Amino acid sequence: MDLKLDHRTEDRLTIVEVEGEIDVYTAPRLRELLIDLVNKGNFHLLVNMEKVEFLDSTGLGVLVGGLKRVRAHDGSLELVCTQERILKIFRITGLTKVFGIYASVDEAKEAHGKDK
Amino acid sequence: MTEETAARAAGLSGIRDTVTVRLPAVSAYLSVLRTATAGLAARLDFTLDEIEDLRIAVDEACAMLLPQAVPGTDLIAEFELTGEEMSVKVEVQTVTAQAPKRDDFAWMVLTALADDVDAVTEPADRMAILLRKRRSAASAGPGDRA
Repeated sequence: MDLKLDHRTEDRLTIVEVEGEIDVYTAPRLRELLIDLVNKGNFHLLVNMEKVEFLDSTGLGVLVGGLKRVRAHDGSLELVCTQERILKIFRITGLTKVFGIYASVDEAKEAHGKDK
Repeated sequence: MTEETAARAAGLSGIRDTVTVRLPAVSAYLSVLRTATAGLAARLDFTLDEIEDLRIAVDEACAMLLPQAVPGTDLIAEFELTGEEMSVKVEVQTVTAQAPKRDDFAWMVLTALADDVDAVTEPADRMAILLRKRRSAASAGPGDRA
């Protein structure tokens, strides 16, 4: 399966919907989208990974790159993910301590609202 | 490879096969190799978690090799199935083989998910990563699916 990307903005939070496989072949598309969103002034990103079927270290690198970019603008990049097989990759690399990871978009929005 | 395989005792399942997959050394084909990896691991009765680990490990190994592959050449993946374990050697043709960085995410993930990992950078025009994963006791079933 290829990678499907979509995004929408709700209350200053830009939600990026990711569906499919994030690997060395598809990750550049996600990287381009994140860069494009930041360049257009979207500094609070929420990446919904609930429909991600595969993630490797290339995908992790893209997410870390996105995080660095938004932080340069005092922004945030957080994730929605409950899939154990995806979370395992974040745990192996210690990135569960770097990203805010939520169980749902609503939960993340609520937390984001409190931070504002 | 063949001699080494022959010297090993057949595993519980009785399977002792070598499978070679040759693909263009471009990232677009990695999903095909992941699917092949999962199919072969399932044949050895690995658990779903172990199959996923192998899929990611093989993907990471290839992702490390592809930037060094000579354009227009192939990536060769050799799977050795010996009952309780799967050994995989992925190899590309390079100009000057460089050892993989051992402090990046890819190596971290690869070494966490496979039981043994090694990189081979000799001869200089080839580079290979070898990984091995043993089936857990929990997944060992009584059935012989050879």
